[in-house]
Formats: sequence, C-alpha cells, structure tokens
Amino acid sequence: MTAPTPTVTELNAARTAALIRKLTALADDEIILAHRDGEWTGHAPILEEDIALANIAQDELGHAGMYLELRRALDGSDPDRLAMFRSATEYTNTRFVELPRGDWAYTMLRQFMYDAYEALWLEAAQHSTYAPLAEVAAKAVREEKFHVQHTALWVERLALGTPESTRRTQTALADLWPHAAQLFQPVEGEDELVKAGIIPDIAGVRSRWEAVMVKHLQDKCGLRMSRDSFPGPARENHTEHLAPLLAEMQQVARQHPNAEVW
Amino acid sequence: MTQPQPDHPDTQHHDTQRHDTQPHDTQWPRWEVFKQDSEKRPYQAIGSVHAGDPDHALVTARNVFVRRPAAVSLWAVREADILMATPQELVGTPDVLAVSGTAGLYHVGIKKSHKRSMTFVDLVGAVQATGPGDALRQAHEQYPDALAWLVFPDAAKVATDPDPGTVESWFAPATEKTYKQQQYYGTIGRHVGELKRSGQMPGRVNEHPHVGEQPAVKHNEEPVK
Repeated sequence: MTAPTPTVTELNAARTAALIRKLTALADDEIILAHRDGEWTGHAPILEEDIALANIAQDELGHAGMYLELRRALDGSDPDRLAMFRSATEYTNTRFVELPRGDWAYTMLRQFMYDAYEALWLEAAQHSTYAPLAEVAAKAVREEKFHVQHTALWVERLALGTPESTRRTQTALADLWPHAAQLFQPVEGEDELVKAGIIPDIAGVRSRWEAVMVKHLQDKCGLRMSRDSFPGPARENHTEHLAPLLAEMQQVARQHPNAEVW
Repeated sequence: MTQPQPDHPDTQHHDTQRHDTQPHDTQWPRWEVFKQDSEKRPYQAIGSVHAGDPDHALVTARNVFVRRPAAVSLWAVREADILMATPQELVGTPDVLAVSGTAGLYHVGIKKSHKRSMTFVDLVGAVQATGPGDALRQAHEQYPDALAWLVFPDAAKVATDPDPGTVESWFAPATEKTYKQQQYYGTIGRHVGELKRSGQMPGRVNEHPHVGEQPAVKHNEEPVK
C-alpha cells in the first residue's frame, strides 16, 4: 500500500484504546452474525441457499479475523482467544446480530440490513488515514457488495411473494428495525478517531444506509417502515440470547484449550 | 444482469413426457451453469442449480460454483431450453434433429473426453439455426467425433454483468481465498505412513479368525467352556 501511514504519535494512547474498542465491536458483530447464519447449515430452504448462507457466514468470519488481526498489531491480543474465551459480558456485539435466527425472512432481512450497513461503512473506511484499516476495507467491501445483492434479491422476492411471505417479511422488519439503530452507536472515543480520519463518521454512514433501506424496503418491496428512531442500549448490554449462543460456539475450544491444530 | 426471457414453448416439447401418475417435482426449475475462467477460455458446463428466476440462478450459481475457483463470467440456462444428445441417442431417436423452435443464434457445446473433470461440456461456438434440432444437426456435422452435443438459443441465457464492479465483487475475492487441503488434517494424530515406518502400525486384527481371545480353529477343536 502506498497510502500514508500515521506515525506512532498520531495513534496516541487514547486513540489506540478507542481503535481497539471499535475493531473489537466490528469483529464481534461479524462473529455473532456468522454464527446465527451458520445455524442454518443443513436447514436452509434448499441446498443451494444452504451453501450460499454458509459462504456469507464464512466471509463475515473472515472479516472478523481481519479486524482482530488489526487489533493484534495494536495490543498483541490473540484473535482466537478473543473469539472463543470471552463471555457474554465481554462481547460488544449489537443485539441486532445476537437475536435468534427466526425464519428465513427474518434471516434474509437482517443479513440484508447488515450487509448494506457494512458495505457502506467499508466503502468509507477505504479512505482511512490508518493504512492497515484502509487495506482491510478495500478487500472486505468487495464481498459485501456481493452479499447485499444476494440478500436484497431474497428480501424482494419474499416481500412481494405470497401473502404469507409478505406477512413474515413485514413482521421481521417491525422486529428488527428498532435493534438496527444500535449498529450506528459510536464506541467511546470514536469521535477522536473520526477527527483523525482513521474511521468514517458513523452518522454519515447511517444517513446513506437509511436512504438505501427506504429505496429498497419501502419503494421497491412495498414494506411499511417505522420512521421512529431508537437509540438502543449500549453494546455491552445483551439480551438473554447471547450466552447460550456463546456456550455452543465456544464449546469445543473451551473443552480443548490446548489444541494446536483445527 | 439480463432480464428473464419469455418461455420458449416450442423448444420444450422434449420435456413434456412427464406422466401425471408420477409425483410432481416440487423443485424450482433447474438451470445449467456455464463458467468462464478467463476472457480467453470457453464457457464450460460446471453443474446445475435450482432457482426461481434468472437473477436468483446467477447469484446461487456464484455461491455454489465459484467461491474458490477463478471465473470472470457465468451463464445460466434453464434445463428446458437446452437440447442435447449423445451419438447413441442420435441413432436411437433421430427425431431429435427435427425438434422445432425459434430460429436464431444457438450456442453449441460438446463433450470431448470421458476423463473425470469438474467440467463436462465446453461451449465451442454458435450457429444460426431454424430451431434446436437444426442447431443440433449442425453441431453434429461440425463436431462428428464429440461424445455429446448440446445446444441452446442465445436468447435463453442469462449472464452476469461484464462491468468491473461485478467482476470485482462476484469473482475477484475467490482468487485470494485460502483453504486447507484435505491432507492437512492428516497432521491431527499421526500419519499412517509414519506409524508404518517406525514399526508401530498395529497388525491386522483377526489375521486368523478368533472368537474372543481364542483362535477360531482351536475353538472348533476344543469347545470353549
């Protein structure tokens, strides 16, 4: 990469701590959503979609790995330890991604809303003044642009399909919308990172995201959208659904903490 | 992506022999998927997907077939729009060359080898034909030694966009994805060759028939009490 790398003084202690928080929050959303998607393996409506959703889940996990490698470069932490040995109180994912997978409409709609958010965030993060993040964003944004095509396609077909699929998609939107706001909550110290050009301004990402949601969900798919704004609880504040998810996800790693080969 | 094409009822009559006494297929239509590895390579048949419509067929094909392998373009063609035949079938049912349908440009694919491969049919060109049967006849004439011929109208195919954005998001990430080869997992425990070389490979159980600890022969001679 030829982008200018911030010097050590530009990433002072406060910014480093904030960047670690942000990278961890981004990674946590990816890990938990990937696990929810992975729960469909063997259960998706058709084999082809089973494979497709597993692909998407693996991509999201790959992005988590990239974020946590960026964190490792800052504080030496081990990505596998962070993923597999933190408890629910230590995870900083949004409730939006930890809620149970629901039906296919719920899963596809959540993934669409998330993919659109992630694609827009990554698109902006490609211009980060922190070169390692810009590089990761340029890589990951390509996959998100494909994900969002796939999930937008499904949401459209479900919303405009049968009366039952329309009803299920509308219900999923009513359930998910209030939780989506949490994706746009800044972490502590995020404004300093934005000022330094290290990460994109989340408010800008949010307004672009809302425009995409209105265009697709309301204008194209005919779904009714709430215009209410829900700030949501802090990222440390989880539902009762996260702990059982982690218990399953971390089970093997915790039973064999010394395993060297996976 | 290209818009769905109207049905080609005339080209489908080879698919209308389903007996109503049989259970109806509840699957979505099947689409044959053709993949192009690079601009210089032919499109090759790599398998099929079930999908509700053309755009769905393409995103599904991308997920199923090109997460890892190199590709720059995908085509999907509904099974009902494809006419194919082997040399044996041409002898047995020569009527296949009389299948009528829409006149126009038809793509021609041939199977060249019995060798096991991830692809079965290469698209080798296109012909102007009065219908699928005529296209198949021309394919047979041009490639008499092929092991199978396949034709479909150009209008029946749906293709991924050739724009850089699509290539970048659909196909480029595949070339950088790493994965573990199967033999990597041999390092869990110890490889069988290593055990053999160090003389630790356990002998075959029951090299002579046993009943429990007792050799079977002895068992026959002296019944176990």
